[in-house]
Amino acid sequence: MMRNDPIKHVFIWPAVLVVLAISIFPLIYSLTTSFLSYRLIPPIPPRVVWLGNYATLLQEPRFWSALFTTTLIAFIAVGLQYAIGFGVALALNARVPGERLFRVALLLPMLLAPVAVALVARMIFNPTMGPLNQFLAKFGLANLPFLTNGHWALACIIAVEVWQWTPFIILMMLAGLQTLPEDVYEAAELENASAWQQFWGITFPMMLPISAAVVFIRLIESYKIMDTVFVMTGGGPGVDTETLTLFAYQEGFKKFNLGYTSALSFLFLIAITIIGVTYLALLRPHLEKRR
Amino acid sequence: MLRRTFLMLTTSLAIAGAASQANAACSPDYTGVTLTVASQTGPYIASALKLGADEWAKKTCGKVNVVEFPWSELYPKIATSLTASDATFDLVSFAPAWLPDFVPYLSEMPKEMQSGKDWDDIEPAYRERLMVWEGKIYSQSMDGDVHTYTYRTDLFSDPKEKDAFKAKYGYDLAPPKTWKQYLDIAEFFQRPDKGLWGTAEAFRRGGQQFWFFFSHAAAYANNPNYPGAMFFDPETMDAQINNPGWVKGLEEYIRASKLGPPNALNFSFGEVNAAVAGGQVAESIGWGDTGVIAADPKQSKISGKVGSAMLPGSDEIWNAKTKKWDKFSSVIPGPFMAFGGWQIAVPKAGKNQKAAWDFVKTLTSPDVSGQAAITGGSGVNPYRKSHTANLQLWSKIFSPEEAKEYLGAQSDSINAKNVALDMRLPGYFSYTEVVEIELGKALAGQTTPQAALDAMAKEWNRLTDEFGRAKQLAAYRAAMGLPPKN
Repeated sequence: MMRNDPIKHVFIWPAVLVVLAISIFPLIYSLTTSFLSYRLIPPIPPRVVWLGNYATLLQEPRFWSALFTTTLIAFIAVGLQYAIGFGVALALNARVPGERLFRVALLLPMLLAPVAVALVARMIFNPTMGPLNQFLAKFGLANLPFLTNGHWALACIIAVEVWQWTPFIILMMLAGLQTLPEDVYEAAELENASAWQQFWGITFPMMLPISAAVVFIRLIESYKIMDTVFVMTGGGPGVDTETLTLFAYQEGFKKFNLGYTSALSFLFLIAITIIGVTYLALLRPHLEKRR
Repeated sequence: MLRRTFLMLTTSLAIAGAASQANAACSPDYTGVTLTVASQTGPYIASALKLGADEWAKKTCGKVNVVEFPWSELYPKIATSLTASDATFDLVSFAPAWLPDFVPYLSEMPKEMQSGKDWDDIEPAYRERLMVWEGKIYSQSMDGDVHTYTYRTDLFSDPKEKDAFKAKYGYDLAPPKTWKQYLDIAEFFQRPDKGLWGTAEAFRRGGQQFWFFFSHAAAYANNPNYPGAMFFDPETMDAQINNPGWVKGLEEYIRASKLGPPNALNFSFGEVNAAVAGGQVAESIGWGDTGVIAADPKQSKISGKVGSAMLPGSDEIWNAKTKKWDKFSSVIPGPFMAFGGWQIAVPKAGKNQKAAWDFVKTLTSPDVSGQAAITGGSGVNPYRKSHTANLQLWSKIFSPEEAKEYLGAQSDSINAKNVALDMRLPGYFSYTEVVEIELGKALAGQTTPQAALDAMAKEWNRLTDEFGRAKQLAAYRAAMGLPPKN
């Protein structure tokens, strides 16, 4: 009855226009730019190259290296975050003494700005002045090239990611654990099921939906990693720790190569979409089984 | 009522009188004007700008707000502001190499500033070369930058060390004339068990690394028989960065990285200065800051033991035209104007251009800049004749012998016949980015020096084609002080 009331336009159109202005228009503009050869510095007039930027990027070893590095950081860091986070959440859920204190203390890293965490980490891993190497030296160990060797630098970045974002997993998993029904466990205990059997038979399957969501959120967020890498290694040594976002930043804001950067951003979007869709497709049978 | 009106009138007149007296002290009067300057994070340069700001405020009653950005962020911050033509900054301080990118957005220096005693006092290398772009002046040097050599005089004058060195290498221990001697000295003093290492240079990506590499290469690639051909062939604009001169430079730069303190690969220039001032190394190369910081007893463990000299050179230099090594009868010193010294300029979009140029005049005046030059950590090195001529000025931080060597090294380097100018080209960051990436790989042993340099040359040639070879060639020739090609 109200469907034909013209007043609806007054309410709908402002919202549509705002969405268009702040979301869709930049996206379309960026997509258009990705088909251009367009540099601000040195100023070069825009020239249509169609898929030229995409073709160049796909042939660029640096793009593949950045994609590989980002994937490596995302998968290892999120895997460790999930394993540690779930473990700690289980411990906290078991009402250990001082659980409230632990819960607050363990959440602290998540509340810090990543750039501040990265700065502290850079000092800790500093090869000459950092406390970590000084500590190792007390045991007669040689200085380790934490941020100057590609493999070590990647490990350090992953360690920082794990340290900072495991609390997010703890928080979500703990919330999930606290909603699980007690009677299922009571029944399992009557059947003499061991703790291990209870975990694999009850807790893990029942936590699967929330686990899937948490891992998905963290995976997508990890792909966007920028500040930690920027501060800790700047993408070096060489391009060993350069991630996709850092690569895009270098091209866009150091070289002002706008067309190329837009194409890179869209490839990044495609890569994340493929990973997200694959992840959900792989999990779907398990999740549907739960319904 | 009349009395009250009279009282108010008298008070108003008194206030107005006091205000006009105060304004009379402001010459020119910029009361109410606040200038915003973009600078790299202090103390380097930012503290010098603040020193100039205080002097300018006393003189003109205007204010200067110094906004600081980390070195790696300065270029994008300035470039985004300039290309958007917004008036965020009234002044920008930047590297001379960025000038070609910024020129379209900068105002020209007022003609009245381009003459007079203070103008003539600026060293010709800056006044006639680095401050000029296509015959016009868009910026003013506020710092002089040339790489020089620093060493510990206590080690070099120790008779035991001298005898041991001569016995091992067959020549006297002294500031090196060639890069081979430089590496010999570094190797000789490499004593990790005693907390002493050979040399300190910057090797970290984003840590001024590539200028140190350029300094090594300048000795072998800057040929006086074919001037201006260090980076590109000035006839064809073909990249020269992978020629045998550069390969030798890179091999020696890599060797130097192994003769430094542990994890020298993570050193930027700041760490180099800390290593020198901490007495950790026997020698080093870098900008003039190293000598000033090392001489300052508040910051240094080797105060009073600081020697300076020009960069080492070579008696054979690659000729990019004949594609052969040219032999010379004696060693040709290879000073390199790394970075070239901070410039300050006024954007066209600025709303206070007159006041901004007046600030530049105060900041770079012989008195204010002279004070900045002798202040350790200001980042300002000599760029005026009066800076190096006034020994008394330097007696505050150096002993007479130290001052003589330091100022001699600075002056001789800037005025050397074969001084190599740094690269200045539109799209500068695109060119240097690949250098940083490939240097990182070569230093980590992931690739050979020749392969790293080949990759750089390939990318340089591709960029030159993309930006327009003829346009880049004209810009490169202008930057190298060569006449336009017909």
